[in-house]
Amino acid sequence: MARTLTRWLPAAAVPLVIVGSVALASAAGADDLPERTPEDILTLLADRDHQPYSGEFEQTSDLGLPSLPGGVDLPAGAGDAAAVTAALEALTSDHNGRVFVGEEDQARLQVFDSFGERDLIVNGPEVWAYDSGENAATHVTLPDEATSRTAPDQQLTPDAVADRIVEAAGPTTELSVREDVEVAGRAAYDLVLTPRTDATLVGEVAIAVDGETGQPLQVTVTAQGESTPAFQIGYTSLDLSAPDADLFAFTPPAGAEVEEVAPPTAPQGVDTADHPKPTVLGTGWESVAVIDASATDLTSQPLLAQLTTAVDGGRLLGTELVNVLITDDGRVLVGAVPLERLQAAAAE
Amino acid sequence: MPADTRTHGGALLGSEVRVLFRRWRTWAMLAALATIPILMAVVVRLSSEPPGPGEGPPFLDQVTNNGMFVAVTALVVTTPLFLPLTIAVVSGDTIAGEAGLGTLRYLLVAPAGRLRLLVVKYVSACVFCVAASGTVLLVGWGIGSALFGTGEATLLSGDTIGVGDAVVRSLLVGAHVTICMLGLAAVGLFISTLTDAGVGAMAAVAVLTIVAQVLGQLEQLAWLHPWLFTHHWLSFADLLRAPIVWTSFTENVLLQAAYVAFFGALAYGRFSTKDVLS
Repeated sequence: MARTLTRWLPAAAVPLVIVGSVALASAAGADDLPERTPEDILTLLADRDHQPYSGEFEQTSDLGLPSLPGGVDLPAGAGDAAAVTAALEALTSDHNGRVFVGEEDQARLQVFDSFGERDLIVNGPEVWAYDSGENAATHVTLPDEATSRTAPDQQLTPDAVADRIVEAAGPTTELSVREDVEVAGRAAYDLVLTPRTDATLVGEVAIAVDGETGQPLQVTVTAQGESTPAFQIGYTSLDLSAPDADLFAFTPPAGAEVEEVAPPTAPQGVDTADHPKPTVLGTGWESVAVIDASATDLTSQPLLAQLTTAVDGGRLLGTELVNVLITDDGRVLVGAVPLERLQAAAAE
Repeated sequence: MPADTRTHGGALLGSEVRVLFRRWRTWAMLAALATIPILMAVVVRLSSEPPGPGEGPPFLDQVTNNGMFVAVTALVVTTPLFLPLTIAVVSGDTIAGEAGLGTLRYLLVAPAGRLRLLVVKYVSACVFCVAASGTVLLVGWGIGSALFGTGEATLLSGDTIGVGDAVVRSLLVGAHVTICMLGLAAVGLFISTLTDAGVGAMAAVAVLTIVAQVLGQLEQLAWLHPWLFTHHWLSFADLLRAPIVWTSFTENVLLQAAYVAFFGALAYGRFSTKDVLS
């Protein structure tokens, strides 16, 4: 009998070893960083020098929306409706990818799909976008003066998201620092931004700031009254050496459909003629953006009709973090605020 | 370990592999695997217009530029079902087949030891894993370069690679798929020690691969996904990016090693305590 038991010992030992090593790997604590006040960390974040790096990142969303089937052709239609669908897809589904940053005007963003990839490559004035699913490339040559701050800033990377949130958070935000965290193998300060108002859906935003370089490594947004994050984007690995310069020299593959796009004339690249500019009501966390979309009949889109529910004065696309109200007269109100605030803003 | 037992183990493995490749069943399965790249290449060749981007299985539109991508496309198509089916047949048969034929006790009469027999059986199943994915890869290369020639190929990132790089990349994809099958073979070895009915063990392994892949599709079980042996089966797309993303490859190696260790230990526990009556 004892002999029988010893023969089963390896089968019992192996899971213990596996669980043990997994636990050890994840329990590696953060190094001690010198104490800093929240203001110091904001300064560290704002004053960071340009640092070449390459990193893998991961974005997860749990907004309480049904996630859209990725890769499936949705009855999106063309133009604005397609843009709405694309934005919904970006919000509701999880993504991972890589970022490479070389010289100050060199960057490459890769967003991975299961058997595809979308790339954005900025090399000085040359900007390329490539989609392997379509085998299509878009090329823009920027005029000289516009090259300093370009496209990658408008993309979803942990850096860009953190910078935008800090920019938007003003005096209506309370700053605090939690215990140090470890992100992508680097010790980081955990800067917490808590809205000073109850009139927003955002409970708190936590930004992990690299203790050494001041680079934002992870952004976590938690909705009010929730314990699990509604949205998180962060690096899973980070390498602070300069990436291979060849990565930024993009030549579209043979057979790819290449579209040359004229550089945007407006400095921000927003085509004001076609897209109505949103008006913003309120400030800080309570602000509501109003877009006049009466030109396109949004509610007739089957996808939107499915995702929205009828409420007083229109249809609501409700998530844990953001509410979108499409009024009967065709205005779209967006804000990280409760529905009542949107309805009040619509009545104004 | 004394020299004579080591040579004995080697001789046992040699005879095992010879028996494996003397069976018609083995060759029939390899031939069935080989038809998939051939079929794909011939159909694309005969069709009047080449497949556009995003049409058909992944990388099919690459085939006309560089025939070697037939091998990669064939691996994408065979990995979820055909390839694991053949592995299920071979690994499910390892112990149960001998027991069913009544030859197991003769194997154990020789001073081989049960552990050594188990190891030899597993290694010969691994040899078949290499042969199976190698067949798809080599036949794919052969038929692809014969029908379409070799040339530049486009990676998922939009970068263009030459022929030499394409060989390396498709070899890596083949290695990844083979490693994925090693974990499955260990599961099959364990199931094979549970029964004397070879067919039952094969069916159980085949069903497990399907169940694992179905579980992998369910969002509600996201916490379980990294632990499924099928989790990284199709993540070899990461080997076709520029530069290569090694994360999923190394994660898969660790995952499959864990499966081999755990199910190998379970198989040892079961086989060494089992009453061999047939």
